[in-house]
Amino acid sequence: MLNDQEKVSKALKFSDILITVMVAIVFGLIYKFWGSVYGVVSPLFLKADQLTYGMWFIAGPIAFLLIRKPGVALLAELAASSVSALIGSEWGIQTFVYGIVQGLGCEIIFALFLYRNYSLIVAGVAGLMSGVGSFVVDLAYGYANYELWMLVYKYGLRMISSFVIAGVFAYLLVRALEKTGVTKLIRPVSKSEYASLND
Amino acid sequence: MNTNAVVEVRNLRLKFPGEASLMFKDLSITVPEGQKVLLLGPSGCGKSTLLQVLSGIIPNSIEVPLKYDEIQRSASWGFVFQDPDTQFCMPYVDEELAFVLENLSVPREQMKERIHQALASVGLLLEDPHTPIQTLSQGMKQRLALASILLLEPDVIYLDEPTALLDPEGTVEIWNTVKSIASSKTIIIVEHKIDQIVDLVDRIVLFNHAGEIIADGVPHEIFQKNKQELVQFGIWYPEVWEDYLSSDKYQALQQQYHAELALANELEHTREPVIRLQEFSGFHGDVRKIHVPEAVLYAGEWLAIVGSNGAGKSTFLQSLMQLLRTEGLYQIEGEQIVQTTKRIRKQIVPSQLAFVFQNPEMQFITNSVNEEVSFSSSNVPLSGNDSNGDIQALLNKFDLAGLGERHPYQLSMGQKRRLSIASSIFGGQKIVLLDEPTFGQDARNTFAILEMIEGLRLEGAAIVMVTHDLHIVQHYATRVWTISEGQLIDSRLSGRGGTNGVLYTAENNMALPC
Amino acid sequence: MGFFTPQRITWLYHVNPAFKFIVFVLLLCVALINRNFEFALNQMIVYLLVLILFCGYSWKKTALLLLPFLFVFMSTATSMILFGKGEHMWWTWGLIRISEESFFRGMVLGLKTCSCGMMGMVFALTSKPILFFYALMQQFRMPPKFAYSFIASIRMLPMIMDEFHIRSNVLKIRGKRYARGVKGWYQRLSQYAIPLLAQSIRRAQRVAVAMEAKRFQMSSSRSRTYYYTTSYSRFDAAFIAVMLFLVTFAFVLSD
Ligand SMILES: Nc1ncnc2c1ncn2[C@@H]1O[C@H](COP(=O)(O)OP(=O)(O)OP(=O)(O)O)[C@@H](O)[C@H]1O
Ligand SMILES: Nc1ncnc2c1ncn2[C@@H]1O[C@H](COP(=O)(O)OP(=O)(O)OP(=O)(O)O)[C@@H](O)[C@H]1O
Ligand SMILES: [Mg+2]
Ligand SMILES: [Mg+2]
Repeated sequence: MLNDQEKVSKALKFSDILITVMVAIVFGLIYKFWGSVYGVVSPLFLKADQLTYGMWFIAGPIAFLLIRKPGVALLAELAASSVSALIGSEWGIQTFVYGIVQGLGCEIIFALFLYRNYSLIVAGVAGLMSGVGSFVVDLAYGYANYELWMLVYKYGLRMISSFVIAGVFAYLLVRALEKTGVTKLIRPVSKSEYASLND
Repeated sequence: MNTNAVVEVRNLRLKFPGEASLMFKDLSITVPEGQKVLLLGPSGCGKSTLLQVLSGIIPNSIEVPLKYDEIQRSASWGFVFQDPDTQFCMPYVDEELAFVLENLSVPREQMKERIHQALASVGLLLEDPHTPIQTLSQGMKQRLALASILLLEPDVIYLDEPTALLDPEGTVEIWNTVKSIASSKTIIIVEHKIDQIVDLVDRIVLFNHAGEIIADGVPHEIFQKNKQELVQFGIWYPEVWEDYLSSDKYQALQQQYHAELALANELEHTREPVIRLQEFSGFHGDVRKIHVPEAVLYAGEWLAIVGSNGAGKSTFLQSLMQLLRTEGLYQIEGEQIVQTTKRIRKQIVPSQLAFVFQNPEMQFITNSVNEEVSFSSSNVPLSGNDSNGDIQALLNKFDLAGLGERHPYQLSMGQKRRLSIASSIFGGQKIVLLDEPTFGQDARNTFAILEMIEGLRLEGAAIVMVTHDLHIVQHYATRVWTISEGQLIDSRLSGRGGTNGVLYTAENNMALPC
Repeated sequence: MGFFTPQRITWLYHVNPAFKFIVFVLLLCVALINRNFEFALNQMIVYLLVLILFCGYSWKKTALLLLPFLFVFMSTATSMILFGKGEHMWWTWGLIRISEESFFRGMVLGLKTCSCGMMGMVFALTSKPILFFYALMQQFRMPPKFAYSFIASIRMLPMIMDEFHIRSNVLKIRGKRYARGVKGWYQRLSQYAIPLLAQSIRRAQRVAVAMEAKRFQMSSSRSRTYYYTTSYSRFDAAFIAVMLFLVTFAFVLSD
C-alpha cells in the first residue's frame, strides 16, 4: 500500500528525536531482559533461541512506523542497543556494533520505499534486513565456520524470527498504538490538511 | 497593528489533523505590554492550544496546520505547563536550572550564583540545590518550573493551569510567587480555579465551546454582564458555588439528606459499620506511610480525605484496596480482611470495594467506551438486550451518550474522568473509593460528577474520596478526615449537616470547626 | 546502600567516560576480528582482571556479576563446537561432529563474547550516565539534541516503572483474567505494553516541548556552555597506557 499523501515536511523535529530515543530506551531495557527469554527457550530444541532473536531488531521498525521520518529507524536501533550495553547487558558493548549494522539494515529498506510505505510487508522486510545485518557482523565475529546445514538452519530460523517479530509484531503493536490516538500527535502533517484551512 | 502590543494574532485559523472541523476560525487577539490576561472557557474550548500558538510552541515545536493574516510574538517568553512531571529533563534541581543557563550560554562560573538567586526568588529553599526533582512535592515542582522561567528573564509569561494538581497551600504559594514577580511583565493565564487570581488579572477573555471569543473586558464587568454565558457553558466564576448551592438541584439533594439524617439519628445504635479499622498501617516497601489509630465508616457516609501533597492520602486508599502491604485490624462488614503481608504476597482485592484511580488513562483496559463500562469485575462481558439497555442508561447518566464506539484514550479529559468512574462502579460495590475525581474539570463537569457520586451514596454506598477542593468538603462530604505526614490526625462531621461546620485552612492544612 | 554502590571509588571512575567508551569500542574491534584462541583467552583474562581489580566491588558481588557470563559462554561456544566445520575429527554422533578446529573456534567465540561482556560491565559499573553524555558533547562533539534526548529519557524511566505498578494494580482490581496459551500471553502483553508505550510517547513529546520552551535549540552548539565540564586528565593517560599494555601483553604471550 503506497501512501498517496502529497509531499510533507520530513525534517526531524526535536520532539521526534526525543520520542525516538525514549521508545528506544524502553526497548533497550526489554533487550536486556530478553536475554533471559533467549536462555529459557534455548533447551527446547536445537537453536530454538534463534526464534526469539527478532526481538532485538524491533526498535527500528517500531520507531519508523510510529514517526514515519527518515533516520529514526537507525537512531532507534542504535540507541536501544547501546542502552542495553550501557546498563551492563551480559552481551556487552558488542551490541553497540550490532546496533549500527542492524539499524542500517532496516533504514535502507524504508529509504528504498522513499519513506512512504508503512505496510506490513515492508516492515517485515525491514526486520529481515536487520537480521541480515546481524548476520554480516556474525560473519566477522567468526560464526561462518558452521557446517553448511547448520549455517542455513540457524540463520533461517533467525530470518523467520526477524520477519515475524521485528516486522509483523512491530506492525501490530503500532496499529494498536494508533487506535489510542497517540500517533496523531507525532506524524508529519499532510498538505491536504493545510489546504482544508481555507474551507 | 497596535503599537504597544507585545503579542498579537489576526484571523487565526487552526485545525488538528484528522479532525472534521476547525478549532479556531478567524480568531484575533491583542495583548498590550504589561497586561495580565486570563483566558476563561469550558474544558476543551482551545485555551491551551491558543497559548501555544501565541508563544510559538505551535508550530515551532508541535506541527499543527494553521494560518493567519498577521502574527506578532515576543522573542522573550516563558511557559509553565499544567503537569509538574513533564516539564523537566534533568534528574536534579540544580541541573535543571543549569540546563536553562546552558541554553543561554551563561558562563559556568556564574551558574551557581544565578541558580541560587532564582531559587530564592520563588521561595524554594533547599539545603542543597543538588536534590532529586522526584523527591519534591508537586507544589515545589511548580515553583521550580517558575524559577527556571525567571532565569530566562522573559517579557511575557504564559501559565497553563499551573496549580491543577496542587493542594490549597501550594496553590496560594504559587500565585503569591507569581504576584511577586509580575509587576512589569505581560502575563497570559489559563486557569479553572480562579479564586486566587481575580485580583491579579486586569482583563478576562471569555471563550465558548466552539473556540470563539464571546466577551473581553475587565473582570468584574465580565462576571456581571456575562453571567448568563458563564452559567450556560459551565465555567467557573467567583460565586459559582453560592449559585449552585441555591439551585433547585442541590436544594433537593440537601432535603433528601436531611430526611435521611433524621432517620439515621433514630437508628444510630443499630447501625453496623461497613469498615472498621484499628491500628491500621500501610507500607511502601518497608516504610510505614500511613497509620490510622482507629476509625469506622458507615453505609451512606461520604468521607472526604484532605491533606497536603504527599501526606499519604492515595497511600491510604491503596492500603484499603490491599495493593500495599498492611497490618492491623481491618474489617469489612464485620469480617476480617486477609491482608497483604510479607508472607502472603498474593494480593486479594476485597470485592466490596470499587476504586477510581488518580490518572484515568491508566484505568482503561478495553478498546471502546461500551466495552469499558460493560466489563464488570466478574470479568464476564455482559451480553443480551437487557444489559445493553443498562449500559446505555449508564452512559446517559454519565453524559457519555453517543461516544460508545470511541477508544477511551480519544476522549477529552473530563470525559475520561467520567468514564473511569462509570466503569469502576458498574459492579455495584458497596464502598466506592475515589482519588481526586474532580481535578482539572470545569464547573459543569464537577457538579455532574458530584451529583453522580451523591446518587451512589443515596443508594446506600459508602463514599471515600480524596480531594483538595474545600467546597466539596463543605457541601457534599458528611465527614472529613485530615491526614498529615502519614497520620490520621483528625476526623469530624462536615458542615453539610449545618450543625458543626468545618473551615479548611491553607496555613496548617487542617480542618477546623467554624 | 544499593547493590550498585561500589566499595571504593577507583581511578577508573575518574577516566573521562566518553574516552573510556571510545577506547573500549576500539578494543572491541580488536577482539571481534581476532581468530586466535590463545589471544582470545588472554584478552578475556585481561578484562576479567580489570573487572576484579579496578571496579571497586567486593569479591562476592563481582562473582555474582560474573555469573551470567557463564551462560553466555556456553550458549555461544557449544553449538560451534558441536556443529562447526573441521578436518581433524575427534568424535561424531549423528549430526554432531566435534573436530579440533570446531572445538577451538567455539572456544574463541565464547571467550570473545565474554570479553565484550566484561568490557561492557566495567564501563557500566564505573561511569555516570550524565557525565558520559556531557563528555560526549564536549570532547566528541556529539550534537546536544542527541545527548539531552538520552539524559531526559533516562530521567523518565522511573516514571515508567511507577506506571507499570499502577497498571498491574488496575488489572488486579478490575479482575482482568486472561485466555490460556499464546492468546493469553498476547492479551497480557498488550494490556501492559500499549498504555505504557502510549503514555511514554506522550510524555516524551511534552518534555521535548518544555525543553524547547526553555530555549533549547536543536542546531547551535558552538556557544553552548556546560554546567559539568569534562576534560582529559592524567587518569586518561593512565587508562590508555594500562589498556594498551595489557592487550599488547596478551598478544605477545599468545604467540
Ligand atoms: N493533538 C490533538 N489532536 C486532536 N485534537 C486535539 C489535540 N489536542 C487537543 N485537541 C482537541 O482540541 C480541543 C482543545 O484542546 P485544548 O487542550 O486547547 O483545550 P482547553 O481549552 O485547554 O481545555 P482544558 O480546560 O480541558 O485544558 C479539545 O477538544 C481537544 O480534544
Ligand atoms: N511507590 C512508592 N514508593 C515509595 N514511596 C512512595 C510511593 N508512592 C508514594 N510514596 C510516598 O508516600 C508518601 C505519601 O504519598 P501519597 O501519594 O499517598 O500522597 P498524597 O497524599 O496522595 O499526595 P497528593 O496530594 O500529591 O496526591 C509520599 O511521601 C510519597 O513520596
Ligand atoms: Mg488546557
Ligand atoms: Mg494522591
